[in-house]
Amino acid sequence: MVFQQTKWGKAILYFLLFAYGCITVAPFLWALSSSFKPLSEIVSGGINFIPKQFTFQNYYDIFVKEPLFLRWMYNSALIAVVATVCNTLFNSMAGYALARIEFTGSKVMFILILAVQMIPGQLTIVPAYLIMKQLDLLNTYAALTLPMMANATFIFMMRQFFLSFPKELEEAAAMDGLNRFGVFFRIALPLAVPALAAQTIFVFMGAWNEFLKPLMFMSDKSMFTLTLGLNTFKGQYISHWNYIMAASMVFTLPALLIYAFFNRFFIKGISFTGGK
Amino acid sequence: MTQASSWKKKLRNNATGYMFLLPTILVLGTFLFLPVFYSLYLSGHKVNLLGEVSYKWVGFKNFTRMAADERAWIALKNTASFALFVVPLQTAFAILLAVILNAKLRFKNFFRIVFFMPTVTSSAVLSLIFMWIYNSNGLLNRVLEFIGLHGYNWLGDPAVAMKAIMLMNIWSTAPFFMVVFLAALQDIPDSLYESAMLDGAGAWRRFISITLPLIKPATFFAVVMGIIGTFQLFDQSYIFSAGSGGPNNSTLTVALLIYQYAFKNLDFGYASALAVMLAAVIMIVTLIQRMLFAEEKLN
Amino acid sequence: MMKKSGVVLLSLMLAVVLMLSACGKNEGNTNTGTANSGTNQEPAKEPTAENVTVTLAGWGASPEEQDLLNQTLKEFETKYPNVKVKYEVIADQYMDVIKTRLIGGEGPDVFYLDAFEAPGLIDKNVLEPLDGYVTPEFDVADFEQPMVDAFKQEGVSYGFPKDFSTLAMFYNKKDFAEAGITTPPTTWEELQADAIKLTKKEGNKTVRYGFGVAPELARQMFMIQAFGGKVSDAEGNATFASPEALKGLELVTNMHSVDKSSGEPKEVGAGWGGEMFGQGKASIVFEGNWAIPFLESNYKDLEYGTAELPTVNGTKGTMAFTVAYVMNKESKQKEAAWQLISFLTGKEGMKTWTSKGFALPTRKSVAQELGYDKDELRSAIVAGASYATPWQAGSTLPTVMSNFNNQFVDTFMGNSKLEDAMKKAEDTANKEIAAAK
Repeated sequence: MVFQQTKWGKAILYFLLFAYGCITVAPFLWALSSSFKPLSEIVSGGINFIPKQFTFQNYYDIFVKEPLFLRWMYNSALIAVVATVCNTLFNSMAGYALARIEFTGSKVMFILILAVQMIPGQLTIVPAYLIMKQLDLLNTYAALTLPMMANATFIFMMRQFFLSFPKELEEAAAMDGLNRFGVFFRIALPLAVPALAAQTIFVFMGAWNEFLKPLMFMSDKSMFTLTLGLNTFKGQYISHWNYIMAASMVFTLPALLIYAFFNRFFIKGISFTGGK
Repeated sequence: MTQASSWKKKLRNNATGYMFLLPTILVLGTFLFLPVFYSLYLSGHKVNLLGEVSYKWVGFKNFTRMAADERAWIALKNTASFALFVVPLQTAFAILLAVILNAKLRFKNFFRIVFFMPTVTSSAVLSLIFMWIYNSNGLLNRVLEFIGLHGYNWLGDPAVAMKAIMLMNIWSTAPFFMVVFLAALQDIPDSLYESAMLDGAGAWRRFISITLPLIKPATFFAVVMGIIGTFQLFDQSYIFSAGSGGPNNSTLTVALLIYQYAFKNLDFGYASALAVMLAAVIMIVTLIQRMLFAEEKLN
Repeated sequence: MMKKSGVVLLSLMLAVVLMLSACGKNEGNTNTGTANSGTNQEPAKEPTAENVTVTLAGWGASPEEQDLLNQTLKEFETKYPNVKVKYEVIADQYMDVIKTRLIGGEGPDVFYLDAFEAPGLIDKNVLEPLDGYVTPEFDVADFEQPMVDAFKQEGVSYGFPKDFSTLAMFYNKKDFAEAGITTPPTTWEELQADAIKLTKKEGNKTVRYGFGVAPELARQMFMIQAFGGKVSDAEGNATFASPEALKGLELVTNMHSVDKSSGEPKEVGAGWGGEMFGQGKASIVFEGNWAIPFLESNYKDLEYGTAELPTVNGTKGTMAFTVAYVMNKESKQKEAAWQLISFLTGKEGMKTWTSKGFALPTRKSVAQELGYDKDELRSAIVAGASYATPWQAGSTLPTVMSNFNNQFVDTFMGNSKLEDAMKKAEDTANKEIAAAK
């Protein structure tokens, strides 16, 4: 880029990156440090980053004292894994079909997939609840995994990615006698690794942090997800920020780790694009 | 090719197409389309769902009611201006971040992770932190005063309350799209840049004539999802105004209004009508935007 | 060939997912087994000797409070061995979830209900009238009258209050001594004068407000009533812009915009009044019982006292916040549900629940037994019970409240004139109420 051509330009670029990095990392660090503070220190109005009274009590209270903690962790992990696996496959298939296969009604399908996202979720939650009740799925894993098996947003995203792939490879493969499924699994998917990585990150994050659905669908404490379970410390009048901060670390860290891991796929050369 | 075989090909394409879409149709059809369809149905009714359930067909009454509802108009205006401001900025910012982090850079992975953090931090924590930054004696005002500007009452002053939310939103959403663009950038072959460089094209020129056109589908995605997301702004408004949309309606959004009518007043008919109106607006804005993009020509 | 393997892969994945979902369901059912048998069984005709399960829903609380509730529930189960209580905690958006579950016919048998939400649910006819269950031993007269009335409509009781708090004046003793004030203010005029003395500035910045105030209807309703104003009339229309109402509200806004001696928590970066008070950013706040354990455990060096709120227009007034246990009209376990309600709001259960001071008993006898009416900090809160205004006002309150709050913050901040802002809020609210009919 422009900046990299001179020494000074480079210095300025790194300075800007560093400065912006401070802005993005500060809230996280602040939450991290708060999770090791007693409530009295958090609400004292001080803005110290290093805890004055360092304590593990918050983590101890929400993890060890809570008998259902492991169960919630299992629930969350199970749902996030099922959602991630299904989404990556189903969204990619749908996105591919919308971008590449000429079939009757593909436009309508695409528009529907865009349109259903335009009605805000605050309104659809009650009908969604009624459907769950009709299907007798309340308080089951299926209530969370089934609706999270495909996602309109990422179908749209995958479609956009497949749109920009070179058609020649696929045509060549079709010549070689591969059918559509073959082309999809053998040619298109391997090309889409960066997009799949992005999708995996988002879907996992979304499923792991999902709050409204478990809140509505799960009344049985043993079926809670971690996000939901760790929010039960919220009082009517008083927020226990110490627990909320410790809990927020539990939501943030796995998502961040997944991101850090899949980040490696955003590197050129991993996909053999452009007919290399 | 004979007519029969082309017909046969079409049939096969249809079969494959729907086969690929089958899981999606089942899942989204049941859990997304059905509720949305139900909302459409409700928007023409006066509904009582709690207690004695009743549906009364009222035609377009819920929509005409909107015309006289000044808060609906204020909400729409707030939401539209929010989208108009946030979407271009956050998209441009996301592209900028992605392009920089895609270049050959030391500590690239470190920056990629650090910049992504606002997206993973939970919204409850974010809003608490922003309360701390935005209050009258908060960090932002101290910085402004330090550089000689005067501070604002960011949360209490209707003139700036929404701006405070806008800044926060751009900051926390841009990294999401940054990742999308990062993925899109991987698909641009280096050979294109190399040959452009041989032709003597500068960095800016290469960005305009190679990068931008090739990430167009991703940009289309970012803009459409940006529009949908901003038009449905709810969380921050709800937290900042404790659900009222104040001061003086300055943080009132359509989604907040829909929520108020649906859950606080249990008026699902009118709430659905508002949602249909919102969806129509989003649809129109998307169409206009799509005409500007003309993305299909890419192929 | 490829086609086949694709299909195989696909069906494999579906099978895995379905299996996971299915075993999930089974697991869920074994866990909820007792609950299901409770909610799905035939109505309460069966003899009570048979085991039944009652679901009880409430919002989250601190671990200490949760322990206390569990203890109370255990005592109940010991006393009624055939009734099991399944406690469901709703972590957030409590009323939204309750309403959704009631719409779906899956509501809990017994649940918490804030007085503020009671008229709305009573109007919808989803709560069980309780008068038929009440026995003389239950002793309704023992309750503080305003708290029971908050859950009555046309003389019928739909819930009994589990606990309550009024607002009392919390004042910082050190700040008072520093400003040379010897006794807490007893009238609004004294409060105004004291607040000016207590406000501390550094440069042009206020570092401590004399009075910390929450500019919202829930906290200001009694000020509207002080000069004879009303929040809304019998038809549910907003009337908070009447001259009488404005007279009371003006006292509140003037302290902020004219005297500059009051501020809201947000202005100093605090989350709520108790935090503002604890941080020393306000010398006086009006808060409830919930602030006492909070201040005790988080601000150990704070020296403070409580007193009844200062009189306005020569009369005593304060807000009361109360929560009741109510019964779902659709409950299949009404007998057992009543046993639970009557135990929890009865003398025994209430004594355990309020024993640690997290909540105050709505029964006079329990308050006396636990000594709260003589407690140094809590007596002012208990004293308010007899004259307090409960936080509720008909089923149109959600519309009235959101419009009031929306504009009142604006005028409180000095952006608009009180009269104009309230007129605007009132008009908008009434238009919305008329349109909803």
